[in-house]
Amino acid sequence: MSCIIRNIRSFTKRATYLRCASSKLHTFTEYGNGLVPQSLDNKSKRFLEATATTQFRFYSPDVIKPKPTVEEIKDRVLRVVASYDKVTADKLTLDSHFINDLGLDSLDHVEVIMAMEDEFGFEIPDMDAERLLRPADIVRYVADKEDIYE
Amino acid sequence: MATNLPTGLISHTRKVQSLYKRAVRNLESWHEYRDIFRYHATILRKRFDDNKQVDMITAKQLISEGEDELFSQIHYAPAKFPESPGGVAYEREVTPPDWVVDYWHPLEKAQYPEYFARREQRKKEFIKLWEQQYGKSTAGHH
Repeated sequence: MSCIIRNIRSFTKRATYLRCASSKLHTFTEYGNGLVPQSLDNKSKRFLEATATTQFRFYSPDVIKPKPTVEEIKDRVLRVVASYDKVTADKLTLDSHFINDLGLDSLDHVEVIMAMEDEFGFEIPDMDAERLLRPADIVRYVADKEDIYE
Repeated sequence: MATNLPTGLISHTRKVQSLYKRAVRNLESWHEYRDIFRYHATILRKRFDDNKQVDMITAKQLISEGEDELFSQIHYAPAKFPESPGGVAYEREVTPPDWVVDYWHPLEKAQYPEYFARREQRKKEFIKLWEQQYGKSTAGHH
């Protein structure tokens, strides 16, 4: 008799566990379907959606990072150079020389290279930077670094 | 880093460029807000531009003074790009170079017969392409 009672007790306990688990799952699926509480700001909403729908491992080698194409790199390089205020955008092409054609001096060149570092997120050593005198060179350098070939 | 080893004479221009870059990056580490950082960076640029037309002896002295000033104001934890030398994720993922595959044990290679047959073929094609472009190699075997 006591055995049966114990069984019933343990079963009820398990039932509560089950209920807890099911409610947890329920909240997660709600997040997954985009039913995120309205009180949160956009950033945490996006984070919740990302964690609920896909288990995403940030900064893990398992994550295959999307690589830009050569065309995208060309676009980004030209946009960064054009946004530098001493460059006149109408003269700018992929093959224009920073110092001879665009009239920048050596310190402007350093600033352009630093803007490139910020854009692509890696350091360009001085030794390499002094050879990157045209936007085309920078495109080639970035593509080599990211292992992108046409 | 191997890239920072002194491997030859460094031109004066490059010394100035290097000092300027490190000084600006140092300011960037100190000033969190972009507008404040830009203010200080512009002042720094003005200081460099003021000494554009000086003779070589003064210029050399100015560089050494600048290096000292930078050293005295260097940031204790400078911001680095994660995957560049000094960054937190530097060499986190190491991709083994392609030639490693050539040194597999024959038994290991035998597990992928198709791939290695194609690889040998590709190597021959590459050598042919190389010789077409640069001519036959004159160096003997090592």
